[in-house]
Amino acid sequence: MQQGFGTVDAQKTYRRDPADRVTPCTLEDLTLLYHHASGQTHMVISPVPELLACMADGVAMTAGDLHDCLARDYDLGPRDAAEAEIAAHLDALASLGLVRPA
Amino acid sequence: MRHALTLRIGPATFRIGSAWRAPLAQIAHLYAAYPRVEGAIADFTVRLQPTNMLRRWVRPSIFITGDHGLADAAPMSLAHGLLAAEMGMNLQMALGWRRHLLLHASSVEKDGRALVMTGESGSGKSTLAALLGERGWRLMGDEFALLDLECGAILPFPRLVSLKNGAIDVVADAVGEARMGPLLRATAKGDIRHMIPRDGAVSRMDEGATPRLLLFPRFGHRAEERAVGQGEVFMRLTQASTNYVAAGEAGFRALTRFVADVPARAVDFSSGDEAIAMVERLWDERA
Repeated sequence: MQQGFGTVDAQKTYRRDPADRVTPCTLEDLTLLYHHASGQTHMVISPVPELLACMADGVAMTAGDLHDCLARDYDLGPRDAAEAEIAAHLDALASLGLVRPA
Repeated sequence: MRHALTLRIGPATFRIGSAWRAPLAQIAHLYAAYPRVEGAIADFTVRLQPTNMLRRWVRPSIFITGDHGLADAAPMSLAHGLLAAEMGMNLQMALGWRRHLLLHASSVEKDGRALVMTGESGSGKSTLAALLGERGWRLMGDEFALLDLECGAILPFPRLVSLKNGAIDVVADAVGEARMGPLLRATAKGDIRHMIPRDGAVSRMDEGATPRLLLFPRFGHRAEERAVGQGEVFMRLTQASTNYVAAGEAGFRALTRFVADVPARAVDFSSGDEAIAMVERLWDERA
Protein backbone atom coordinates (compact mmCIF):
# COMPACT_ATOMS: atom_id res chain seq x y z
CA MET A 1 0.00 0.00 0.00
CA GLN A 2 2.92 2.37 0.60
CA GLN A 3 3.84 2.40 -3.08
CA GLY A 4 2.45 5.35 -4.95
CA PHE A 5 1.80 7.44 -1.86
CA GLY A 6 4.94 9.44 -2.67
CA THR A 7 3.18 11.20 -5.53
CA VAL A 8 0.48 12.63 -3.29
CA ASP A 9 0.22 16.41 -3.21
CA ALA A 10 0.06 17.34 0.46
CA GLN A 11 -1.38 20.76 -0.34
CA LYS A 12 -4.34 19.43 -2.33
CA THR A 13 -7.57 20.36 -0.57
CA TYR A 14 -10.87 18.53 -0.49
CA ARG A 15 -14.27 19.35 0.91
CA ARG A 16 -17.64 17.77 1.40
CA ASP A 17 -20.36 19.50 -0.54
CA PRO A 18 -24.04 19.48 0.50
CA ALA A 19 -24.75 17.98 -2.93
CA ASP A 20 -22.72 14.91 -1.90
CA ARG A 21 -24.93 14.25 1.11
CA VAL A 22 -24.92 10.68 2.40
CA THR A 23 -27.08 8.80 4.87
CA PRO A 24 -24.79 6.64 7.01
CA CYS A 25 -25.65 3.40 8.75
CA THR A 26 -23.26 1.47 10.96
CA LEU A 27 -23.46 -2.32 10.82
CA GLU A 28 -21.03 -3.84 13.30
CA ASP A 29 -17.52 -2.89 12.09
CA LEU A 30 -18.50 -1.38 8.77
CA THR A 31 -20.39 1.69 7.68
CA LEU A 32 -22.80 1.97 4.80
CA LEU A 33 -23.16 5.32 3.08
CA TYR A 34 -26.21 5.92 0.93
CA HIS A 35 -25.22 8.62 -1.56
CA HIS A 36 -28.36 10.54 -2.41
CA ALA A 37 -27.20 12.12 -5.65
CA SER A 38 -26.27 8.83 -7.30
CA GLY A 39 -28.47 6.39 -5.39
CA GLN A 40 -25.35 4.29 -4.80
CA THR A 41 -24.61 2.51 -1.54
CA HIS A 42 -20.97 2.52 -0.47
CA MET A 43 -19.59 0.10 2.08
CA VAL A 44 -16.63 1.57 3.97
CA ILE A 45 -14.53 0.78 7.01
CA SER A 46 -12.33 2.81 9.32
CA PRO A 47 -10.75 5.34 8.74
CA VAL A 48 -13.22 6.52 6.08
CA PRO A 49 -16.13 7.30 8.46
CA GLU A 50 -13.70 9.15 10.75
CA LEU A 51 -12.28 11.14 7.83
CA LEU A 52 -15.75 12.12 6.64
CA ALA A 53 -16.72 13.12 10.18
CA CYS A 54 -13.73 15.51 10.31
CA MET A 55 -14.95 17.08 7.07
CA ALA A 56 -18.58 17.35 8.21
CA ASP A 57 -18.71 21.14 8.29
CA GLY A 58 -17.78 21.48 4.61
CA VAL A 59 -14.50 23.32 5.14
CA ALA A 60 -11.75 22.55 2.59
CA MET A 61 -8.99 20.44 4.17
CA THR A 62 -5.63 19.01 3.19
CA ALA A 63 -4.36 15.58 4.21
CA GLY A 64 -2.31 17.42 6.84
CA ASP A 65 -5.40 19.14 8.26
CA LEU A 66 -7.16 15.82 8.44
CA HIS A 67 -4.16 14.23 10.11
CA ASP A 68 -4.35 16.88 12.84
CA CYS A 69 -8.07 16.33 13.25
CA LEU A 70 -7.73 12.54 13.55
CA ALA A 71 -4.62 12.72 15.74
CA ARG A 72 -6.71 14.32 18.50
CA ASP A 73 -8.51 11.01 18.99
CA TYR A 74 -6.28 8.35 17.46
CA ASP A 75 -2.63 7.28 17.53
CA LEU A 76 -1.73 7.51 13.85
CA GLY A 77 1.93 6.50 13.99
CA PRO A 78 4.59 8.26 11.89
CA ARG A 79 3.16 11.43 10.39
CA ASP A 80 4.46 11.02 6.83
CA ALA A 81 3.02 7.57 6.33
CA ALA A 82 -0.29 8.49 7.92
CA GLU A 83 -0.66 11.64 5.83
CA ALA A 84 0.13 9.75 2.65
CA GLU A 85 -2.51 7.19 3.52
CA ILE A 86 -5.06 9.91 4.26
CA ALA A 87 -4.27 11.57 0.93
CA ALA A 88 -4.82 8.28 -0.89
CA HIS A 89 -8.17 7.85 0.85
CA LEU A 90 -9.17 11.39 -0.16
CA ASP A 91 -8.31 10.61 -3.74
CA ALA A 92 -10.41 7.44 -3.64
CA LEU A 93 -13.32 9.26 -1.98
CA ALA A 94 -13.17 11.97 -4.64
CA SER A 95 -13.37 9.35 -7.39
CA LEU A 96 -16.47 7.90 -5.69
CA GLY A 97 -18.05 11.35 -5.53
CA LEU A 98 -18.16 11.45 -1.74
CA VAL A 99 -15.79 14.42 -1.46
CA ARG A 100 -14.62 16.85 -4.14
CA PRO A 101 -11.40 18.76 -4.76
CA ALA A 102 -11.79 22.22 -3.24
CA MET B 1 -55.01 -12.98 -26.25
CA ARG B 2 -57.25 -15.91 -27.08
CA HIS B 3 -57.29 -17.26 -23.49
CA ALA B 4 -56.86 -15.10 -20.41
CA LEU B 5 -57.43 -14.97 -16.68
CA THR B 6 -56.69 -12.44 -13.96
CA LEU B 7 -55.72 -13.48 -10.47
CA ARG B 8 -54.26 -11.94 -7.36
CA ILE B 9 -51.29 -13.30 -5.41
CA GLY B 10 -50.50 -11.27 -2.30
CA PRO B 11 -50.51 -7.60 -3.30
CA ALA B 12 -49.93 -8.25 -7.01
CA THR B 13 -52.56 -8.78 -9.70
CA PHE B 14 -51.58 -10.68 -12.83
CA ARG B 15 -53.41 -10.92 -16.12
CA ILE B 16 -52.16 -14.01 -17.86
CA GLY B 17 -52.91 -14.42 -21.53
CA SER B 18 -52.10 -17.41 -23.68
CA ALA B 19 -52.43 -18.45 -27.29
CA TRP B 20 -53.18 -21.97 -26.03
CA ARG B 21 -55.87 -23.19 -23.65
CA ALA B 22 -53.90 -25.89 -21.81
CA PRO B 23 -51.46 -23.79 -19.74
CA LEU B 24 -54.28 -21.53 -18.52
CA ALA B 25 -56.47 -24.50 -17.62
CA GLN B 26 -53.62 -25.78 -15.44
CA ILE B 27 -53.13 -22.34 -13.88
CA ALA B 28 -56.87 -22.04 -13.20
CA HIS B 29 -56.88 -25.46 -11.51
CA LEU B 30 -53.76 -24.92 -9.40
CA TYR B 31 -54.73 -21.36 -8.42
CA ALA B 32 -58.41 -22.27 -7.76
CA ALA B 33 -58.23 -20.98 -4.16
CA TYR B 34 -56.80 -17.59 -5.16
CA PRO B 35 -59.00 -14.56 -5.84
CA ARG B 36 -59.95 -14.35 -9.51
CA VAL B 37 -60.31 -10.66 -10.24
CA GLU B 38 -61.47 -10.58 -13.86
CA GLY B 39 -61.82 -7.02 -15.06
CA ALA B 40 -59.50 -5.60 -12.41
CA ILE B 41 -56.62 -3.39 -13.47
CA ALA B 42 -53.69 -5.78 -13.34
CA ASP B 43 -50.27 -4.82 -12.04
CA PHE B 44 -48.71 -7.05 -14.67
CA THR B 45 -49.56 -8.78 -17.89
CA VAL B 46 -47.94 -12.09 -18.76
CA ARG B 47 -48.26 -13.35 -22.31
CA LEU B 48 -47.53 -16.81 -23.59
CA GLN B 49 -47.35 -16.53 -27.32
CA PRO B 50 -46.04 -18.63 -30.20
CA THR B 51 -42.51 -17.86 -31.29
CA ASN B 52 -44.07 -17.43 -34.74
CA MET B 53 -47.47 -18.06 -36.33
CA LEU B 54 -46.74 -21.64 -37.34
CA ARG B 55 -45.45 -22.58 -33.93
CA ARG B 56 -48.93 -22.35 -32.47
CA TRP B 57 -49.65 -25.72 -34.05
CA VAL B 58 -46.40 -27.26 -35.27
CA ARG B 59 -44.15 -28.32 -32.39
CA PRO B 60 -45.70 -25.51 -30.35
CA SER B 61 -43.05 -23.25 -28.90
CA ILE B 62 -43.82 -20.63 -26.25
CA PHE B 63 -42.26 -17.22 -25.98
CA ILE B 64 -42.78 -15.61 -22.55
CA THR B 65 -43.37 -11.89 -22.56
CA GLY B 66 -45.55 -9.22 -20.96
CA ASP B 67 -45.01 -5.76 -19.49
CA HIS B 68 -41.39 -6.74 -18.94
CA GLY B 69 -39.59 -9.22 -21.11
CA LEU B 70 -36.16 -10.65 -21.66
CA ALA B 71 -35.03 -10.34 -25.24
CA ASP B 72 -32.96 -13.50 -25.12
CA ALA B 73 -35.38 -15.70 -23.16
CA ALA B 74 -35.27 -19.18 -24.66
CA PRO B 75 -38.59 -20.41 -26.09
CA MET B 76 -40.17 -23.28 -24.18
CA SER B 77 -42.14 -26.32 -25.24
CA LEU B 78 -45.94 -26.18 -24.85
CA ALA B 79 -45.63 -29.19 -22.52
CA HIS B 80 -43.94 -26.75 -20.13
CA GLY B 81 -46.64 -24.10 -20.54
CA LEU B 82 -47.44 -24.03 -16.83
CA LEU B 83 -43.80 -23.38 -16.05
CA ALA B 84 -43.73 -20.64 -18.68
CA ALA B 85 -46.67 -18.91 -16.98
CA GLU B 86 -45.00 -19.21 -13.56
CA MET B 87 -41.72 -17.92 -14.92
CA GLY B 88 -43.59 -15.10 -16.61
CA MET B 89 -45.16 -14.05 -13.30
CA ASN B 90 -41.79 -14.21 -11.54
CA LEU B 91 -40.19 -12.18 -14.28
CA GLN B 92 -42.80 -9.43 -14.04
CA MET B 93 -42.36 -9.24 -10.26
CA ALA B 94 -38.57 -9.29 -10.43
CA LEU B 95 -38.36 -6.59 -13.06
CA GLY B 96 -41.36 -4.45 -12.28
CA TRP B 97 -42.40 -4.50 -8.63
CA ARG B 98 -41.70 -1.22 -6.80
CA ARG B 99 -44.00 -1.12 -3.78
CA HIS B 100 -41.81 -3.30 -1.57
CA LEU B 101 -38.20 -4.33 -1.43
CA LEU B 102 -38.18 -7.67 -3.20
CA LEU B 103 -35.96 -10.33 -1.69
CA HIS B 104 -35.29 -13.56 -3.51
CA ALA B 105 -36.19 -15.59 -0.45
CA SER B 106 -38.75 -17.95 0.98
CA SER B 107 -40.61 -17.10 4.16
CA VAL B 108 -42.83 -18.78 6.73
CA GLU B 109 -44.66 -17.38 9.75
CA LYS B 110 -45.41 -18.49 13.28
CA ASP B 111 -47.04 -16.42 16.05
CA GLY B 112 -46.91 -13.30 13.88
CA ARG B 113 -43.15 -13.50 13.32
CA ALA B 114 -41.46 -14.41 10.07
CA LEU B 115 -38.57 -16.70 9.26
CA VAL B 116 -36.88 -15.61 6.03
CA MET B 117 -34.62 -17.98 4.07
CA THR B 118 -32.51 -16.83 1.17
CA GLY B 119 -30.13 -18.63 -1.13
CA GLU B 120 -29.39 -19.62 -4.68
CA SER B 121 -31.57 -21.97 -6.65
CA GLY B 122 -30.94 -25.44 -5.20
CA SER B 123 -30.15 -24.16 -1.69
CA GLY B 124 -33.28 -25.84 -0.36
CA LYS B 125 -35.14 -22.67 0.59
CA SER B 126 -38.32 -23.63 -1.31
CA THR B 127 -38.35 -27.21 -0.04
CA LEU B 128 -37.75 -26.10 3.52
CA ALA B 129 -40.53 -23.49 3.33
CA ALA B 130 -42.88 -26.09 1.83
CA LEU B 131 -42.10 -28.65 4.55
CA LEU B 132 -42.37 -26.10 7.37
CA GLY B 133 -45.70 -25.04 5.86
CA GLU B 134 -46.95 -28.58 6.63
CA ARG B 135 -45.64 -28.55 10.19
CA GLY B 136 -47.40 -25.75 11.95
CA TRP B 137 -45.93 -22.78 10.10
CA ARG B 138 -47.77 -20.59 7.62
CA LEU B 139 -46.12 -20.56 4.22
CA MET B 140 -45.71 -16.95 3.06
CA GLY B 141 -43.83 -17.63 -0.13
CA ASP B 142 -41.13 -19.77 -1.69
CA GLU B 143 -39.62 -17.33 -4.17
CA PHE B 144 -40.06 -13.69 -3.15
CA ALA B 145 -40.35 -12.12 0.29
CA LEU B 146 -41.71 -8.60 0.15
CA LEU B 147 -40.14 -6.23 2.68
CA ASP B 148 -42.42 -3.32 3.56
CA LEU B 149 -40.52 -0.08 3.01
CA GLU B 150 -42.30 1.73 5.83
CA CYS B 151 -42.92 -0.69 8.69
CA GLY B 152 -40.29 -3.35 7.97
CA ALA B 153 -42.78 -6.25 7.91
CA ILE B 154 -42.43 -9.19 5.56
CA LEU B 155 -45.48 -9.57 3.34
CA PRO B 156 -46.55 -12.83 1.73
CA PHE B 157 -46.38 -13.68 -1.94
CA PRO B 158 -47.61 -17.28 -1.72
CA ARG B 159 -47.60 -18.41 -5.30
CA LEU B 160 -47.32 -22.09 -6.16
CA VAL B 161 -44.19 -23.63 -4.67
CA SER B 162 -41.79 -24.69 -7.37
CA LEU B 163 -40.02 -27.96 -6.51
CA LYS B 164 -37.15 -29.43 -8.43
CA ASN B 165 -35.74 -32.93 -8.89
CA GLY B 166 -35.10 -34.68 -5.56
CA ALA B 167 -37.32 -32.25 -3.63
CA ILE B 168 -40.42 -33.29 -5.57
CA ASP B 169 -40.98 -36.67 -3.89
CA VAL B 170 -40.04 -35.39 -0.44
CA VAL B 171 -42.74 -32.72 -0.59
CA ALA B 172 -45.30 -34.82 -2.50
CA ASP B 173 -45.07 -37.45 0.27
CA ALA B 174 -45.72 -34.74 2.87
CA VAL B 175 -48.65 -32.96 1.19
CA GLY B 176 -50.37 -35.65 -0.89
CA GLU B 177 -51.06 -35.87 -4.61
CA ALA B 178 -54.14 -33.64 -4.59
CA ARG B 179 -52.03 -30.57 -3.94
CA MET B 180 -49.38 -31.34 -6.53
CA GLY B 181 -49.33 -30.09 -10.12
CA PRO B 182 -48.25 -32.08 -13.17
CA LEU B 183 -44.68 -33.34 -13.39
CA LEU B 184 -42.78 -31.25 -15.93
CA ARG B 185 -39.92 -33.38 -17.14
CA ALA B 186 -36.55 -32.25 -18.43
CA THR B 187 -36.99 -28.48 -18.19
CA ALA B 188 -33.92 -26.24 -18.23
CA LYS B 189 -33.77 -26.73 -14.43
CA GLY B 190 -34.46 -30.46 -14.51
CA ASP B 191 -37.78 -31.98 -13.44
CA ILE B 192 -40.18 -29.51 -11.87
CA ARG B 193 -43.46 -29.96 -10.04
CA HIS B 194 -45.58 -27.28 -8.39
CA MET B 195 -47.25 -27.53 -5.02
CA ILE B 196 -50.45 -25.74 -4.01
CA PRO B 197 -49.96 -24.00 -0.63
CA ARG B 198 -52.33 -24.89 2.21
CA ASP B 199 -55.60 -22.99 2.48
CA GLY B 200 -54.35 -20.73 5.28
CA ALA B 201 -51.41 -19.56 3.20
CA VAL B 202 -53.80 -18.21 0.58
CA SER B 203 -56.65 -16.98 2.79
CA ARG B 204 -54.16 -15.05 4.96
CA MET B 205 -52.00 -13.79 2.12
CA ASP B 206 -52.65 -10.15 3.05
CA GLU B 207 -51.24 -10.64 6.57
CA GLY B 208 -47.63 -9.63 7.01
CA ALA B 209 -45.31 -10.60 9.86
CA THR B 210 -42.38 -9.02 11.68
CA PRO B 211 -39.12 -10.67 10.59
CA ARG B 212 -37.43 -12.50 13.45
CA LEU B 213 -34.78 -14.77 11.95
CA LEU B 214 -32.89 -14.88 8.66
CA LEU B 215 -31.34 -18.12 7.43
CA PHE B 216 -28.97 -18.88 4.59
CA PRO B 217 -29.77 -22.56 3.97
CA ARG B 218 -27.45 -24.79 1.97
CA PHE B 219 -28.59 -28.28 1.07
CA GLY B 220 -26.13 -31.09 0.40
CA HIS B 221 -23.58 -30.48 3.13
CA ARG B 222 -22.84 -31.93 6.54
CA ALA B 223 -25.01 -30.33 9.22
CA GLU B 224 -23.37 -27.13 10.39
CA GLU B 225 -24.40 -23.73 11.55
CA ARG B 226 -22.61 -20.40 11.80
CA ALA B 227 -23.42 -16.78 12.55
CA VAL B 228 -23.24 -14.38 9.61
CA GLY B 229 -21.89 -10.86 10.13
CA GLN B 230 -24.11 -7.91 9.31
CA GLY B 231 -21.87 -6.70 6.49
CA GLU B 232 -22.07 -10.05 4.76
CA VAL B 233 -25.82 -10.21 5.35
CA PHE B 234 -26.29 -6.78 3.81
CA MET B 235 -24.19 -7.67 0.79
CA ARG B 236 -25.96 -10.98 0.22
CA LEU B 237 -29.39 -9.39 0.56
CA THR B 238 -28.60 -6.64 -1.93
CA GLN B 239 -27.57 -9.43 -4.31
CA ALA B 240 -30.79 -11.28 -3.48
CA SER B 241 -32.93 -8.23 -4.17
CA THR B 242 -34.02 -7.49 -7.70
CA ASN B 243 -35.10 -3.93 -6.95
CA TYR B 244 -32.73 -2.64 -4.25
CA VAL B 245 -31.23 0.01 -6.53
CA ALA B 246 -34.62 1.05 -7.90
CA ALA B 247 -36.03 1.43 -4.37
CA GLY B 248 -33.53 4.21 -3.64
CA GLU B 249 -33.22 5.61 -0.13
CA ALA B 250 -36.40 3.87 1.03
CA GLY B 251 -34.80 0.55 0.09
CA PHE B 252 -31.57 1.47 1.88
CA ARG B 253 -33.44 2.35 5.07
CA ALA B 254 -35.64 -0.75 4.95
CA LEU B 255 -32.77 -3.13 4.27
CA THR B 256 -30.38 -1.66 6.87
CA ARG B 257 -33.16 -1.83 9.43
CA PHE B 258 -33.79 -5.46 8.54
CA VAL B 259 -30.08 -6.33 8.80
CA ALA B 260 -29.65 -4.51 12.11
CA ASP B 261 -32.77 -6.04 13.67
CA VAL B 262 -32.84 -9.62 12.40
CA PRO B 263 -30.22 -12.16 13.51
CA ALA B 264 -28.80 -14.26 10.71
CA ARG B 265 -27.42 -17.81 10.56
CA ALA B 266 -26.02 -19.92 7.77
CA VAL B 267 -27.25 -23.52 8.02
CA ASP B 268 -25.88 -26.48 6.09
CA PHE B 269 -27.89 -29.68 6.04
CA SER B 270 -28.14 -32.98 4.21
CA SER B 271 -31.83 -33.82 4.61
CA GLY B 272 -35.17 -32.12 5.15
CA ASP B 273 -35.65 -33.63 8.61
CA GLU B 274 -32.21 -32.44 9.69
CA ALA B 275 -32.93 -28.94 8.39
CA ILE B 276 -36.29 -28.73 10.12
CA ALA B 277 -34.77 -29.79 13.44
CA MET B 278 -32.10 -27.06 13.06
CA VAL B 279 -34.66 -24.42 12.12
CA GLU B 280 -36.96 -25.27 15.03
CA ARG B 281 -34.04 -25.18 17.47
CA LEU B 282 -32.76 -21.84 16.19
CA TRP B 283 -36.26 -20.42 16.32
CA ASP B 284 -36.81 -21.61 19.91
CA GLU B 285 -33.45 -20.17 20.98
CA ARG B 286 -34.70 -16.78 19.84
CA ALA B 287 -37.93 -17.16 21.88
